[in-house]
Amino acid sequence: MWETFIVTPLTNVLLWIYQLVGGNFGLAIIIFTILIRLITHPLMAQQIKSSQGMQEMQKSKKWQDIQKKYKGDKEKLAQEQMALYKELGVSPFGACLPTLIQLPIIFGLYQSIMRALAASPMQLLSLTRSLYSFFHISDLIPLNSHFLWMNLGQPEKLFLPFLPGVGIPLLAIVVAISSYFQQKLITPPSATPGDQGAAMSKMMAVYMPLLMGYFAMTFASGLAIYFIAGNLVGIAQYAMLGKLDWKNLLPGSKKAEVKPK
Amino acid sequence: MKTKFLYLALGLLVLAFMLSGCGTGMTPSSWAGVTTDGDTAYVALATHVYAVQVSNGVERWRFPEKPDAKKTFFAAPTLTPDGQLIVGGYDRILYSLSPSDGSINWTFEGSKDHWIGGAVVGNDMIFAPSADYNLYALNMKGELQWTFTAEQALWAQPVVDDTRVYFGSLDHYVYALDMKTGKPAWSTELDGAILGSLNLGADGILYAGTLGGSVYSLESSTGKINWQHSLSSWIWSGPVLGDGNLYVGDQLGMIVSLQADSGKENWSIQPDGPVLGSPLVLPNEVIFGTESGSLVAVDGDGKTTWSQAITGKLYSTPVLAGDFILVAPVEGDGTLIALDQNGTQQWVYTPVK
Repeated sequence: MWETFIVTPLTNVLLWIYQLVGGNFGLAIIIFTILIRLITHPLMAQQIKSSQGMQEMQKSKKWQDIQKKYKGDKEKLAQEQMALYKELGVSPFGACLPTLIQLPIIFGLYQSIMRALAASPMQLLSLTRSLYSFFHISDLIPLNSHFLWMNLGQPEKLFLPFLPGVGIPLLAIVVAISSYFQQKLITPPSATPGDQGAAMSKMMAVYMPLLMGYFAMTFASGLAIYFIAGNLVGIAQYAMLGKLDWKNLLPGSKKAEVKPK
Repeated sequence: MKTKFLYLALGLLVLAFMLSGCGTGMTPSSWAGVTTDGDTAYVALATHVYAVQVSNGVERWRFPEKPDAKKTFFAAPTLTPDGQLIVGGYDRILYSLSPSDGSINWTFEGSKDHWIGGAVVGNDMIFAPSADYNLYALNMKGELQWTFTAEQALWAQPVVDDTRVYFGSLDHYVYALDMKTGKPAWSTELDGAILGSLNLGADGILYAGTLGGSVYSLESSTGKINWQHSLSSWIWSGPVLGDGNLYVGDQLGMIVSLQADSGKENWSIQPDGPVLGSPLVLPNEVIFGTESGSLVAVDGDGKTTWSQAITGKLYSTPVLAGDFILVAPVEGDGTLIALDQNGTQQWVYTPVK
């Protein structure tokens, strides 16, 4: 089911793009990522809208009052919060539902890239069985996995003539930086700065890019291309919706603290 | 607040899922490579190279002693005339082990990618094909003599004659190189990627199977194509020569016998599943393994003499060790299974964890 409806179609679309762009797998990954992000854009817009609704609600005086009033009674607090959700027409799951729908596509996208790279006999066997009949396997395999200075099936390191023997994981650095920028640019100001959630967000803004950078350094560079393309398209999507917070990038800038209405 | 935690949890879940998919631990990257000297079978599979006594299926040693996720082995080990066991790993290291106890003699760490195909020895040189597109020529101490770079990965064991080394590449080409210098004598383009080993006949004719579904006959002296015969589907392994005939299987499960001199088809049968490995040619029979787990023995006329069901998928080429036929199934009950030449199972080796 997962194979038939998600991974196989995505793999075939990716390879179709690959052939369309003249056998450039790096370019195919970038176009493929953009295409998938465009298709899932309405879901993302819905997710942002719902998140914003939640944010607005948490800034409201009524919400703040409830928090104070039922501080010691978690059950009652939950009941009152649910009542407020209902009253304002905000769904607490409105923000995460679109994400949940996007998740299989993200998984599938990732799996299809790894499958198409077919760096081992078992992966190649799996790829040959995923291909639709319109592909001529002799023309398609082996895939040209070279893109710029990289072998997309291998972790990337850039070797410079003046640094013999030292490989710089350039792509991993770009992944970490672009992930950091994306995280910073799209994270809205916390309605309740200083609480555990805000602290967690701050932590995520540091650790997530490092983790992504580590993945990019360790695994096939085709995956790193996908991360970078995804980060840049994500920033562009937020920009199109007017949701980027450029102030977050300024050094020493503090997120605007929100006063209760 | 809760939503943020939910996002955090989701994010970590995504990463965990992705990470698990990235590793090679979930599904094997390939199938086992098996070599034997008749007394001991050497099996490269996943985290170890195992040495198994052929007479009874008892393990003699394993390398490394403790599993290391970074070290995995699938390329068929190669026994050298001077008593070394050469095996390449997915850790990009080519090891020379002692066949008696699995201790390391030397390592070669010049490859930038996995070792998928086995090495071959000729004229006191080791020729090792790497997925990094290079054929590495080493002396018997593991010192690099020369390197030849193809246009794509090399997944199959080369073959040698007195002066040249021959191999196919995923780039669709068959290459012939001078053993001493690594200089190409010729290269010939075929209709698809070459995943399996070439077969070199005593008369100097090379045979190759391609992912384009063709069997080729080439002159080893010039690379000229003598004939090409198309099968119904993709060919994963090289054709094997026996009594003037070639035997080869394809991904649709066809088993075909061709006349080696003309490429004319003698017969074809279709037992029960894709045939990815090369056959084992015995004096009176040819043994094929299928993905459905059948080990099929066929006589010279294409009649099935026996068939034995094995639990698992048979992708590797069956190997003759003394009187036994050894098979290494994927996802099966055992790692190595020995059968007599009537197809009766003798023992099953399963490594103790």
